Amino acid sequence: MTLIELDHVNFRYPQAQSTALTDISLTIEEGERVAVVGANGSGKTTLGRLLNALYLPESGQVSIAGMDTRRMELHRVIRQVVGMVFQNPEDQLVAAVVEEDAAFGLENLGVPTLEMRRRVDEVLHTFDLWEHRQRPPHLLSSGQMQRLALAGVLVVEPRVVVFDETTAMLDPAGRRTVMARMDELHQRGATLIAITHFMGEAARCERVVVLDHGRVALDGTPAQVFADAERLAALGLHLPPAADLAQRLRLALPDLPLGILNTAELLAALPNYRGGPAQDLLREDLNVADAPVPVEMLRAEELGYVYLKGTPLAHRALQGVDLNVKTGVVHGLAGATGSGKSTLLQHLNGLLLPQEGRVRVGPYRLEDPKVDRYAVRRLAGLAFQNPDMQLFETFVGDEIAFGPRQDQLSRDEIRARVRWAMEQVGLDFESYKDRRSFALSGGERKKVALASILARKPEILLLDEPMAGLDPRSRGELLAALRRLTILGLTIVISSHQMDDLAGFVDEASVLAHGQNAFAGSVGEVFEREDELLAIGLEAPVAARAALELRRKGWPLAPGLVTPDALLAGLAAIGQGVR
Amino acid sequence: MSEFEFSGNLPFGQVVPGNSWVHRLDPRARILFFLLVLTAVMFTQRPLGLLLGLAAILLGLRLAQLSLRYSLRALRSPLPFLVFLAALQVLFNALPDSVPVLLRLGPISITLADLMAGGMLLLRFATVVLGIGFSGQVLSVSALAHGMETLFAPLEKLKLPVHDAVMAVVVAVRFLPFLALSAERIARAQAARGAQWTRVNGGLFRRIRAQLPLMVPIFITSLRRADTMALAMDARGYASRTPQSTSLIDMRWKRPDTLAMLIAVGLFVAILTF
Repeated sequence: MTLIELDHVNFRYPQAQSTALTDISLTIEEGERVAVVGANGSGKTTLGRLLNALYLPESGQVSIAGMDTRRMELHRVIRQVVGMVFQNPEDQLVAAVVEEDAAFGLENLGVPTLEMRRRVDEVLHTFDLWEHRQRPPHLLSSGQMQRLALAGVLVVEPRVVVFDETTAMLDPAGRRTVMARMDELHQRGATLIAITHFMGEAARCERVVVLDHGRVALDGTPAQVFADAERLAALGLHLPPAADLAQRLRLALPDLPLGILNTAELLAALPNYRGGPAQDLLREDLNVADAPVPVEMLRAEELGYVYLKGTPLAHRALQGVDLNVKTGVVHGLAGATGSGKSTLLQHLNGLLLPQEGRVRVGPYRLEDPKVDRYAVRRLAGLAFQNPDMQLFETFVGDEIAFGPRQDQLSRDEIRARVRWAMEQVGLDFESYKDRRSFALSGGERKKVALASILARKPEILLLDEPMAGLDPRSRGELLAALRRLTILGLTIVISSHQMDDLAGFVDEASVLAHGQNAFAGSVGEVFEREDELLAIGLEAPVAARAALELRRKGWPLAPGLVTPDALLAGLAAIGQGVR
Repeated sequence: MSEFEFSGNLPFGQVVPGNSWVHRLDPRARILFFLLVLTAVMFTQRPLGLLLGLAAILLGLRLAQLSLRYSLRALRSPLPFLVFLAALQVLFNALPDSVPVLLRLGPISITLADLMAGGMLLLRFATVVLGIGFSGQVLSVSALAHGMETLFAPLEKLKLPVHDAVMAVVVAVRFLPFLALSAERIARAQAARGAQWTRVNGGLFRRIRAQLPLMVPIFITSLRRADTMALAMDARGYASRTPQSTSLIDMRWKRPDTLAMLIAVGLFVAILTF
């Protein structure tokens, strides 16, 4: 049965020159699971909001279970049929305590109190929020907030659920939870529409709709849509990570079947080793004798920190954490949401001073009460996850000049610094310096924020989740910019919950769990610990998992292959594929 | 306390969950109790009544199993201001000449009555601040909202949008802790770029200019979030809700509520007359 029907729909934002969606015609059957993907600005979110009458079409018709969304009197029923989960749970929780937030939708529908109580209690148990039912939402952990946002929508029992980039900021464990809920809903017959930047998630749907500049560019099964990598790249997208790896591995393992879309399929398809006994691996010893002995740049010892210390709301973020980073090294800081990554990073530039333990940043000892915090912050630049929190000037040029101005440099010096910083992140000085910061895209704002830190010429660069929430294209551009920075010899500490992002970029990594050190080591050592990473809410990179699986199937591969390049080189080293 | 922890100083939305006798009272009983006692404390002219009011608040904190130290912290920031006001009261209180003078300093004379008035002022405001802090700790925003909504329900008959007004207050108050958190994050992000607004000297303009880096992102992110929030509320059927929308909280007036009310009325009378 057709549940959703869009017939030649056009949509334009007020005062906008062009349409955000142009001539969209789509039908979605009851029980379908559809992914909507596309680069930033392709109209994904707009499309989602047309489905529950938050937006109304300029022309054409949207009908939901036969109801035209332009009929205002049907909106109550339409919104009961189509539930919508937004990205940031903080923005969608309305009530002052958990259980009332879960009840909000039912209250608006006029469900009697007794029945409402029964349904709310049930949903709170299902989402493991029962213990917290009386707490105000801002005291929940981010995972709990995410579950509450879902609970508040699902309690109404909608037939369609639109997930608008719900997983964009989640760590792998959070994403697995949401995906499991989606599987469950789908099995119960609900229609799911997942708007996402993650191609791996799109591959789990039955159908993928690709939008490009407000039009439907592709519409088909994941196998059809992901068959043409070049076409996808032109649309600002890429293959799911497992499909991409499979395609590259085919150079070395030509028998690998076509059409692999997810990690499970890839692992199952990897062949058993049929070659002769492993030849003696000639390990090229690195010539370490000539390399200069690196100096230690950052050191934390026994670091502990409690937020809101001395209030009833106190909570511990770090306990006994050690960290050691040498000059010029790119160090990855891995951990799930709430593991203490951000708190640790903020200690490394003196934003937070140690409550317990010791921190040394270059020559500065932060436990010394007389330490010059401003000098520490100049030495170690910290870029936060959300650029909106740090940008405030109208124009890009002024924004980036803010730091150098604080340091009271001359006009010419400031100009030179701004130009240099913009070049480092790949923003053209002349064409960007007079643009308005807030009119830029998310990826561009990230670059401006990064340039604004670089403009003070820090020796240490601290990056808090720089990739989170970016679409595939901006992600690629930012990663390229960061690669260029490593050449400058900066000491970099980069935090992330995406091991795939870290593995190709860092030299070494330490993993935090629940505010404590879990394990640390070289990139190969850390990202190969598949089960341990999984246990603390993370996920080993897909290349590392493929390498481990190949070794289990008898391949005499060297340990520590955690990126596609390393895996291909490893296969080449044992005479498989091209070197 | 770190230089960035604004949310620790926030009086609202910091409800301490509990299951004491006080927490179990009907929200309406709690609202009326605080209203009566604090009104009496505000207007009483009786020192003994004032002390009784303070004792009632302290006893209430005890009964609700709340930390006295935490509650007293609310006094910390207004205290210097209050002491200053009390000093003014003592020094410049105009009283008839018939009152015996304790101390004379040039044109200023200090009488026993002056000291009493200053002390009363200090005590009165300390009690009110403690009382408001107390109510903030046991009255969740939702309890407050539902209590107010039922108490003001008769006004709906006059076509006043009581439900919308209460909802607006709930959303605003729920937003506050998140706003404080955003301010914290923004302050950190700015400090990381060398902002030094805590030690800016100079004229008013310079100081305001130094706050801009903090204010602009707060405004922009808040507006953006308010937008999303309005959409999220609509998506959950708020704009299209039935006129007969219901409530999860089923309020029942029980015997302890009546008892609390009797005590509150007794205190009201006693504070004003003792």
